[in-house]
Amino acid sequence: MNYALTIEDHHFELHPSGALFWPREEMLLISDVHLGKVTHFRKFGAAVPPSLIRKNFDLLDRVMDEFTPSHLCFLGDLFHSNINSEWQIFEKWVAGTSGDITLVTGNHDIISPLKYESLGIVSKEEYVRNNFYFTHEPSKRTGMFNISGHIHPAVRLKGKGRQSIKLPCFFKSRDQMILPAFGKFTGTHVLPVKSDSEVFACTRTEVLKI
Amino acid sequence: MQEEKLYNIAENWFKGQGWQPFPFQRKTWAAFLQGKHGLLNAPTGSGKTYALWFPIVLNYIKDNPDYKKRHKKGLKAVWITPLRALSQEIKQSAEKVTQDLGTSLSVGIRTGDTSTRERAQQRKTMPDLLITTPESLQLLLATKGYAAIFKDCSAIVIDEWHELLGTKRGVQVELGLSRLKTISPKLRIWGISATIGNLEQARQVLLGPESKAYQKSVMIKANLKKKITVRSIIPKKMETFPWRGHLGIRLLDDVIPILKKSKTTLLFTNTRSQCEIWFQKILERYPEFAGEIAMHHGSIDKDTRLWVEQAIRNESLTAVVCTSSLDLGVDFAPVETVIQIGGPKGVARFFQRAGRSGHRPGEESVIYFLPTHAIELIEASALQKALRTQTVEDRIPYLNSFDVLVQYLITLAVSDGFLPAEIYPEVAQTFCYQGMSEEQWQWLLNFIVLGSQSLQSYDEYKKVEVDETGLLKVTNRGIAMRHRFQIGTIVGDANLSVRYQKGGYIGSIEEWFISKLNPGDVFTFAGKNLEFIRIREMQVLVRKSRKRTNKVPSWMGGRLTLSSEMSKLLREELYSANAANDDQSVEIASLGHIFDQQKRESIVPNPDQFLVESFQTSDGYHHIFYPFEGRFVHEAMGSLLGYRISLLQPITFSLAFNDYGFELLSDKEVDIKNVIDNNLFTTEYLLEDLQKSLNATEMARRRFRDIAVISGLVFSGYPKKGIKMKHLQSSSQLLFDVFRDYEPDHLLYQQAFRETFEHQLEEGRLRIAMERIDRQEIIWKKCKQPTPFSFPIITDRLSRERLSSEPLEDRIRRMAAKLMKK
Repeated sequence: MNYALTIEDHHFELHPSGALFWPREEMLLISDVHLGKVTHFRKFGAAVPPSLIRKNFDLLDRVMDEFTPSHLCFLGDLFHSNINSEWQIFEKWVAGTSGDITLVTGNHDIISPLKYESLGIVSKEEYVRNNFYFTHEPSKRTGMFNISGHIHPAVRLKGKGRQSIKLPCFFKSRDQMILPAFGKFTGTHVLPVKSDSEVFACTRTEVLKI
Repeated sequence: MQEEKLYNIAENWFKGQGWQPFPFQRKTWAAFLQGKHGLLNAPTGSGKTYALWFPIVLNYIKDNPDYKKRHKKGLKAVWITPLRALSQEIKQSAEKVTQDLGTSLSVGIRTGDTSTRERAQQRKTMPDLLITTPESLQLLLATKGYAAIFKDCSAIVIDEWHELLGTKRGVQVELGLSRLKTISPKLRIWGISATIGNLEQARQVLLGPESKAYQKSVMIKANLKKKITVRSIIPKKMETFPWRGHLGIRLLDDVIPILKKSKTTLLFTNTRSQCEIWFQKILERYPEFAGEIAMHHGSIDKDTRLWVEQAIRNESLTAVVCTSSLDLGVDFAPVETVIQIGGPKGVARFFQRAGRSGHRPGEESVIYFLPTHAIELIEASALQKALRTQTVEDRIPYLNSFDVLVQYLITLAVSDGFLPAEIYPEVAQTFCYQGMSEEQWQWLLNFIVLGSQSLQSYDEYKKVEVDETGLLKVTNRGIAMRHRFQIGTIVGDANLSVRYQKGGYIGSIEEWFISKLNPGDVFTFAGKNLEFIRIREMQVLVRKSRKRTNKVPSWMGGRLTLSSEMSKLLREELYSANAANDDQSVEIASLGHIFDQQKRESIVPNPDQFLVESFQTSDGYHHIFYPFEGRFVHEAMGSLLGYRISLLQPITFSLAFNDYGFELLSDKEVDIKNVIDNNLFTTEYLLEDLQKSLNATEMARRRFRDIAVISGLVFSGYPKKGIKMKHLQSSSQLLFDVFRDYEPDHLLYQQAFRETFEHQLEEGRLRIAMERIDRQEIIWKKCKQPTPFSFPIITDRLSRERLSSEPLEDRIRRMAAKLMKK
């Protein structure tokens, strides 16, 4: 179940996968997919389950089908490392999508922008639309609302008797929103909750406001 | 050369030293020279090293009669020790034998401390006698052409086998031996073990349960009767001695006279934090001991530890506060007295510690027992009984440790490659893998070759390759290098090294402790007050501080639990509280007033009774059960019972436990009669209920960390991390989640659960305990106030676990409400 949220008078939908949809602009925002990571590990001899490769693409298909955006924007760390065989799967996947794709590059994006260009993907360091500007690493600019990724935010919930659960989350503060990592083979980083923080935790099927 | 002449060489050497060989030494020589394998049961300091070095050298003399003129090169014997620190002493005694007998046999050490240059040198020419660790033996098998190194090896000795048995390092040894049996046709396999309950099984594990080696083996027992005296330090004012506690500081003043009248005293504590606190407190109250006492535990830097060990030998220290780090090896003749602070939880450990004193043959060993709370005196009494009846616990060997097998197979693939058909029978002969199915074996081969169970499109998995002859081999140099690096890793909790900002290593500390500190906080470590500055690249930077603090790191690994033998003795001692005064031990008699109080409120159970108490306090309704089986069994039994009760009525419990019993605390009262009538102690559906009741997933997750490192699923501890390595970092936690969600039938994932049940929750023991309770009469006492027995349990705030069967989303919503309140 998605969570509807209004930011700066704009309506947004938070998806349990970590994707963020902006209906007015028909724009889907996805951060930290880390494609190629499973293959990268396997290439170096760590037998991470190969079925995970497919899972990332299945999930991408699912959110694309649900929102049918005219613009897809990746907020960095789309690929984990050097090019490997997952690029070919990605090529096919891109060919099957309609609409524009933009990549706001992140620290892991070491694959040449020319390779992306050949697939019709524009890569840039930041992207601005209306009062919103999108980056990979969280950033601040007066009068603007920043949407980013990079951190893989999570929240730790504690209960009585040493109970504790860690969940990936959308992490919002006054002029900033950090998206959870979309990729299935990515870790998380627990962020401390401050007075102006708003936290939206993702379970497998729901986004819950904390 | 004739056997008689050979023995004469040995007998003469002993005569030259003014000694006479013990019968067990002679027996071992004879068995070895007859070509037999075996297990030698002998304690530290008994001359066990000479029992085996001699026949090794004599055997060489026998095969090379002109040994004084000509030296035959090549490895002749391997001596495995679990602790690198012991290798130097073993080398000295070996060299004494080889030189005195006029051979030119060389003795070398190869451990993690050996320099690369020396290793390379050894690869060219192996020493005749090699002293090494299980990890380094494994590394030798990762060397190209390793078979040639071992081809003339006549003996391998596994020292302190009891320490390795019951660990994955022991499994590593089992696998190494299975290979050596094939490539060293003249090999004799010998283990040396202190007394444990399952000695016969220890021999089976060492040699392979149905193997030819086992059939051709002997068990030799030293049977050296050592006189051990246990003296309990009984508080002068028993009435005011606390009912709970775990430090024992209250009796510090009683310890001082013992230290003063003895040459060197070792004070054994159960945890490193307790060790730190005792050291601090002695110096605080008796500053005159400054410079005369020292501290020794596993997290302190190696050089400091070595310095302390040397100082004990030099007799320059009055006392050393230590942990199990001083349990093993190293002969400390000057130690006259040993003090055990708090229950040692195991009989074997207690004996071993007692044996630290009066090390010279024939001397009496004295050990003082210092209780940390009143009930612990029952433990002291039980230990005395154990001493009289020679009761010692078992070490439970691992079964089907697939992580270790994966590592071993890749090791063989890294060196010369292997043919599965040749290796399978060797592995199947070991104790650990005797129950492995052929499907599981095939699964493991797929895992190392394909990285999964079937070929995947677009897959670039690279590790072990199969060549046209069917040989499984690693050809990629990077993979080989990373694997060799990983073999040396002794797995444990994530440790950070503690260093001064200006440089200088102090020791290592568990990550979770540091994670609770803020910069500027002061904590006590290695006997110093240190201010935490920051963490940088797995290093904790600190500076010295004058501020006082009560923050002492505790180490999770330090938790000990009562062994099953110890718990049985404990119960028996407890029952004696109902006996006549004359039949009671001093310790039990001293507890008279506590037992009286207990009997006023409740009862002291008899052997055929199982006691349950319930009472109400401001905290809620307490329900206390007393199985006396050790904390691990209690954790499992408490969770299980809590779960079963929650099926009868909707309820939420908080669970507390210690070595004597467990408590279910709730805001509702439980009718214990209902528990009895519904037969909730049944062993039916035990495993299923246990899985549902406990946070087994969290426990398995912690277990999985070791499994992931050993099997090479995660890379750990690279000295230098370039960008390429950074992209290869992941946590075992993440992998665990991935397997849980996408490949729950993965053998390594399942192993984490199996280990949780077999080794952590001790399912086997739990079952036996519940069967015992099933035969007992359950006595339910409704009390007006907490009883002396219940006191240590209900006041334990550290180990509380919550049991609940509410759905996750509800739990999150409730916790979220709490989060907002901050």
